[in-house]
Formats: sequence, C-alpha cells, structure tokens
Amino acid sequence: MSAPVSAGAVWRRVLPVWLGLMALLALACAAAYAPLGPWTVAVSFGIAATQALLVALLFMRLDSASALIRLTAACGLFWSAILFSLSLADVLSRLTRT
Amino acid sequence: MSDPAIATEALLREPWDGLKLPEEQALSYQRTGATFGIWIFIASEVLFFGALFLFYTAVRAEHAEAFAAAARETNIVYGTVNTALLLTSGLTAAAASRASEHAALIRLTRWCLVATALLGLAFLVVKGLEYREDIAEHLVPGPGFKLPEASAQLFFGFYWLSTAIHGIHLMIGIGLVARLIVIGWRHPERIPGNPQVEVTLLYWGFVDMVWLFLYPALYLAGRSG
Repeated sequence: MSAPVSAGAVWRRVLPVWLGLMALLALACAAAYAPLGPWTVAVSFGIAATQALLVALLFMRLDSASALIRLTAACGLFWSAILFSLSLADVLSRLTRT
Repeated sequence: MSDPAIATEALLREPWDGLKLPEEQALSYQRTGATFGIWIFIASEVLFFGALFLFYTAVRAEHAEAFAAAARETNIVYGTVNTALLLTSGLTAAAASRASEHAALIRLTRWCLVATALLGLAFLVVKGLEYREDIAEHLVPGPGFKLPEASAQLFFGFYWLSTAIHGIHLMIGIGLVARLIVIGWRHPERIPGNPQVEVTLLYWGFVDMVWLFLYPALYLAGRSG
C-alpha cells in the first residue's frame, strides 16, 4: 500500500488470476461436450464456483479483507444455503414420491 | 492508505468533523464504512439472485430433459464470448481498484476504468445480437414457441428474466464506472484513494460473478450426448 508502486506490480497481481479464469472457462466449455453423464452438472457448476471464488478472493480482495467484511460476504452464502436447503427439501421429496 | 500524495481533504465527505478525528483517520473510517456497506448490499443481492437460481434448480430437477433440449437452443458462441468479455472487464476493474490506491498510477487507473466500461458495453452489444437471434428463432415463451415441450418455455422464461436483470445490473455498473471516469477527467485529484472507486468496482465484481453462474445454467446444459 505504500507509495512507490509501478503499473507492472499491479498487473503482476491480477494478470495470473485472469489467465486462470480464462483457462477455467475453456475447461468448462470443453467439459460440457464431454460424455460425463450425471457429472456434467457438477463439473460445470463446480468450475463456475471456482471462478467465482477466484473473483471474490483475488479481484474483490476478500483475501486481504478484514474479518467483518469476510463475515458479511459469508452471510450472503449462509442465508442462500438456508433458502436452497429448506426449499429443495420440499421440492425434491415431492419428486421422489411421484 | 499511506500514499502521501492522496488528497485526503478532497475525498472526505461531510459530516466528518464531529468526531474531531485527524483527516487521514476520518477518511480511513469512511473507507471502512463504504466497503462494509457495499458488501452488505452484495450479500443481499446474492439472496436476490439466489431466489432466481433456486427457481432454476427446482424446475430443472423436475423437467431435466426439457431443460436440456431448451438449453441446446441457446447460442454457446455468444455465451462464451460474453463470459470472456466480462472476465476481462473483471481484470481491468481489479487493476483499476489496485491502481487507484496510488496517486502515481492515476493514468493506469483512468485507462482501466475506460476499458472496464467499454468491455461492459461490448457485452451488452453481443447480448443484443443474441436477443435478436433468439427472437427470430421464436424462443420467446408464448404462442408459436419453437419447442413442443411446455416446460422448455419455463427454461426460456428463466433465460429472459435472468439475463435481463443481469443486463440491468451491468448497465448500472457501466453508469457508475462512467461517473468515475467523469470525476477523474474533471478532478484528477479525486480518484486516487477515493473509496468510491473500490465500492464501484466491488459491485462490478459481483455482477461478474452472477454471470459466471448464468453461463453454465443457460449455455452449458444439455450439450453432451
């Protein structure tokens, strides 16, 4: 954070992340056409979650954020997890019965 | 923030003198508050989009085949190009956010902000071309819909709703970044160290993340086999 910083130092921090994200995009696109059967959904959304994690940690700087900020970000996921698990408990149990 | 070239006084927002803090500390408090505030907003937005994705998950679980058939109708080329455009805009946004911490990097900050807004606009142009193609192929739910399965219309209901809401979020993001570009143009001293730069680019990062999940949901389903 101190004064003498070059543009190169900024790019060195963010360019590798971008390369990783683009590689994951290519992987997701290729995996969608691969005969993975029921794993296709898990793989494509797993790659998306990995990309989102990279963006949150390294582009949105959660890696160096304070505990309060990390907790706030985690709150969104926590309540979403409740939303999904309670709603899907209902929806999926109806599906197996029919 | 310890860059001495940052114009602390120009960045402080009233009222800040009630706490009798030194200017640098007052600005540091304001920065913490701004970052905390945008993350609360992002967490609530996660729930907003979470409800949309919950709809998708529930309906896809019930109508897996119709969803796969419907997802094959989306144009994966437009979808992949747009994902690459948004990821690249995320790169320039992250670079702008980091560069804005240093007064010496004002030019880099400015150019990265301009690149971010332009990449966002390019995304919207590609999306517009895709919408035109979708309409021409009768992929709008309602009478004359292209696919015979009724639940394929549910997929495209989600497609239009989610991409439109994401597009609106992106337009707001472009507007906010354009605002920073104008501020940087008129008052260059107001960009380095300004908490508004970080807040705007955190919002941009979130809009990026939403698309990362829309991409497999809309374009990658039903491609194999």
